[in-house]
Amino acid sequence: MSGTTAAARRGGGWTPWLYLAPALVVLGGLLVYPIYQLGLISFLEYTQAQVSGGEPTTFKGLGNYATLFEDPQFWQVLLATVVFAAACVLATLAVGCALAVLLTRVRAVPRLALMTAALGAWATPAITGSTVWVFLFDPDFGPVNKVLGLGDHSWTYGRHSAFALVLLEVVWCSFPFVMVTVYAGIRAIPGEVLEAASLDGASQWRIWRSVMAPMLRPILVVVTIQSVIWDFKIFTQIYVMTNGGGIAGQNLVLNVYAYQKAFASSQYSLGSAIGVVMLVILLAVTLVYLRLLRRQGEEI
Amino acid sequence: MKLSARLAVPAAGFVLAGLAGLTATACAPQTSDTSAKNDEKSGTLRVWLFQEVSNGPKQKVVDRAVDAFRARHEGADVEIEYIPVETRAQKIKAAFNDPKSAPDLIEYGNTDTAGYVKDGGLADITEEFGAWRDAEDTDPTAKQSVTVDGKVYGAPLFVGVRALYYRTDVFDDLGLEPPKTQAELVAAAKRIRAEKPGLYGLAVGGAYTYGAMPFIWAHGGELAEESGGTYTSAIDSPAARKGIKAYTSLFGDDNCPAAKCAEMGGNDTVTAFASGKAGMVIGGDFSRAAVEAGTVKGKYAVVPLPGVRAGEIAPAFAGGNNLGVLKSSSHRTLAVGLMKELAGKKTQAELFDAMGFLPTYTDVREKAAGKEPFIEPFIKTLAAGAKAAPASAGWAQIDSSLVLPTMFQEVVSGRKDVEAASGDAARKMNDAFGAAR
Amino acid sequence: MTFVRRPWRLAAEASALLIALIVAFPLYWMVLSAFKPAGEIQSTEARPWTLSPSLDSFRRVFEQQEFGRYFLNSLLVASVVVIASALIAFLAATAVTRFRFRFRTTLLIMFLVAQMVPIEALTIPLFFLMRDFGQLNTLGSLILPHIAFSLPFAVWMLRGFVKAVPEALEEAAYIDGASRSRFLWQILFPLVFPGLVATSVFSFISTWNDFLFAKSFIISDTSQSTLPMALLVFFKPEENDWGGIMAASTVMTVPVLVFFVLVQRRLVSGLGGAVKD
Repeated sequence: MSGTTAAARRGGGWTPWLYLAPALVVLGGLLVYPIYQLGLISFLEYTQAQVSGGEPTTFKGLGNYATLFEDPQFWQVLLATVVFAAACVLATLAVGCALAVLLTRVRAVPRLALMTAALGAWATPAITGSTVWVFLFDPDFGPVNKVLGLGDHSWTYGRHSAFALVLLEVVWCSFPFVMVTVYAGIRAIPGEVLEAASLDGASQWRIWRSVMAPMLRPILVVVTIQSVIWDFKIFTQIYVMTNGGGIAGQNLVLNVYAYQKAFASSQYSLGSAIGVVMLVILLAVTLVYLRLLRRQGEEI
Repeated sequence: MKLSARLAVPAAGFVLAGLAGLTATACAPQTSDTSAKNDEKSGTLRVWLFQEVSNGPKQKVVDRAVDAFRARHEGADVEIEYIPVETRAQKIKAAFNDPKSAPDLIEYGNTDTAGYVKDGGLADITEEFGAWRDAEDTDPTAKQSVTVDGKVYGAPLFVGVRALYYRTDVFDDLGLEPPKTQAELVAAAKRIRAEKPGLYGLAVGGAYTYGAMPFIWAHGGELAEESGGTYTSAIDSPAARKGIKAYTSLFGDDNCPAAKCAEMGGNDTVTAFASGKAGMVIGGDFSRAAVEAGTVKGKYAVVPLPGVRAGEIAPAFAGGNNLGVLKSSSHRTLAVGLMKELAGKKTQAELFDAMGFLPTYTDVREKAAGKEPFIEPFIKTLAAGAKAAPASAGWAQIDSSLVLPTMFQEVVSGRKDVEAASGDAARKMNDAFGAAR
Repeated sequence: MTFVRRPWRLAAEASALLIALIVAFPLYWMVLSAFKPAGEIQSTEARPWTLSPSLDSFRRVFEQQEFGRYFLNSLLVASVVVIASALIAFLAATAVTRFRFRFRTTLLIMFLVAQMVPIEALTIPLFFLMRDFGQLNTLGSLILPHIAFSLPFAVWMLRGFVKAVPEALEEAAYIDGASRSRFLWQILFPLVFPGLVATSVFSFISTWNDFLFAKSFIISDTSQSTLPMALLVFFKPEENDWGGIMAASTVMTVPVLVFFVLVQRRLVSGLGGAVKD
């Protein structure tokens, strides 16, 4: 990235701010301000009675956070969220990269077939995707149990099998982004480089590790970070597939947990506190990302 | 290109106009003012009623009542929406939060009365209720269920009480008698499952709290105990634990496999029975239409749910739904009028015929019982003493945050034993009771 | 890639086709189930074809309270969000790539951080915000937040496209006497358009898919409902009406698929362009 060019050197006076104004107004009003409110509510006693005016709002300080951190379920959900998101990210990246490499190895027809199928999965709305996957694994009417001969085995009963089912759906709908992006990146690598490596007798794995991966690093960082962001915030899939968090809340992740706390049991302040915790964790991830970018000598 | 640019200009303008307003305010979200500003005599009344398992007949009765109401009130229109029972709490709370988009009249479960009143959502209609002719015959328990601190917040719509539905053909086939004790009930359930593996013996649900409560009460347990206006959970008392054990022992391959039944709620168990997948189920008077619409029509009978000793009836949950006018309604007079129409004697009698809903008026109920022997076991159950949920605002929260279903599911799935699960549930209940004080 | 040996390539192509089939299977099953007559869906043997396709499920979907209206609402919300966020993001991306000013880096980091915000967590404050401005129960309550949530990612992705337009072009335009806004809209905008399309895919999907805001903000006015809400109606306390659910899902997925097919080429090159830079 070469940054200093003729136009960039120009300050432009008020022009950039004029261009930025609509974005800043929208983000200020609908992102920054709500975040501020989220933080504020997390310090208040704010339940249904306060909302509908039955009782006055009171300041609670860190009380909500104390309640939250004392609740063993919160830690359990946090752990589940981190582990589940990590598994989703790893699986998505592995599948996406492997298929991107595969795409470069095949002729037009199979490539078009795979690309089209992947775009189809990508285009499927999360809510319908989740519904279809639940149906595929339905104990009574789903084809999967029939093919595997599992009778009326219920996939959503066990904690791990329910998470596994959601993971499959998540990978299915999010690997296409990784695949298409990485594929576009590989296509940009000069063919001679790969050919030379191949002539040297390097194995496929070796070529990937020593030649392609380093050249693709910026792309890989982008798709990893995007996947982390998306998978950590996962909501629809869990909500739809495990019916709001599974049996006795076994499949809750933070985002669904916050939603249930806030909207099902109307403990808005506890829900907000969970939201703040999520924000802090994702901010930490962002910092790591910025570090990585900077280490690559990249200018943002 | 050109077109999209042209479209975008007004769109962007709209956004900016919207935001100019937004940025002007700050500070904590205001509380909504749920009290009504005026009382219009025409316009559209929005009504939310619960969607029942078999909703068609209910809809017909309601439509008839609404037509009668419309004929009498010129300029008044009525818009009815049937909302799913499972997500009612969220929806109704959202309505309290935004009076502008709230309906005028809602159906609500009688366990929610105290909570909704505390939330400031329901209008006090003591005066109108007192002046209402029909209300003189309302049975005292039903009246109690719309009363908080001596003020009336709605009209009872029907009494809901549950009893044991069983398949007469299956019982005849296996030479079984309707169970007279809880032990016999369990034995019959396991026998059915063993002899007819395609059926659940007694369909139970991990999320079916009202089906589980009679087991707790039959063993002498209580959900909570009141002293001086405050409630303390009793769900972890030895007697209550015995009941929890008895109920959760019904989940297993020898009756109702946990993998399927842990997730089920009351409606699911009734559906399973109605579609011929269960030998018995704990169902309400209000479940009748659903069962009649299923494949087991004509092949079932109902008896009171047996207690621990022979001759006893397990105390049932005194459920039922009410109609209430929202405090925020800008058509208060009209809404109260419609409420009287829908919860009046005539409509309740029709609802009984159509849905099996037990009327809340003593005279209407007697007439119904004379006409329809079906409801005898339910009336017997009522007479044996039905119990209500704790009349604390905390109960609505306990209910909507699924404290008891979670407890049952934890035990059923083997994640916790009865002691640990009931201890946790008691702690959560006490938190809720404490917050509601 | 000529250096791949033949048997390997055949194996690779076979597995590519197989994987394509597996990936496409859920969608196939969705469409198939939508066309199956009710008896076959509920039957315990799951056959991967049907001999008597029926439109009953679709009929149920379209007869359901104003389904067409929900569809139009969804389309309206998604279109407004796509167009508005693309334009706003284009301006912002131009500002941060073609100008150098104080707080530029800070702003860029903010756009990145903004992507991290879990929008579900903001449902709570947004609910109160919308309420205080009387926007609840209106499509505006869905449009406004989605514009805000699409923006950061769109700006972040568009930067690469704007940067790729040579500076010399800009210089030349000014020498020819073009004004700033003329350069912006008549030269830069058409050049960046492919990138705009690629980014709008993301805002389209996230808006089209949303059911959380729709569920939370559209409280009682069913005429303002969107498609995902119509889908939820089919999950009834009775048996799930799988035929209806699958038909509704098909109806919901098709517009996105069409959109994807239309922009596919631009999407692939766009993503490469955005991250390659």
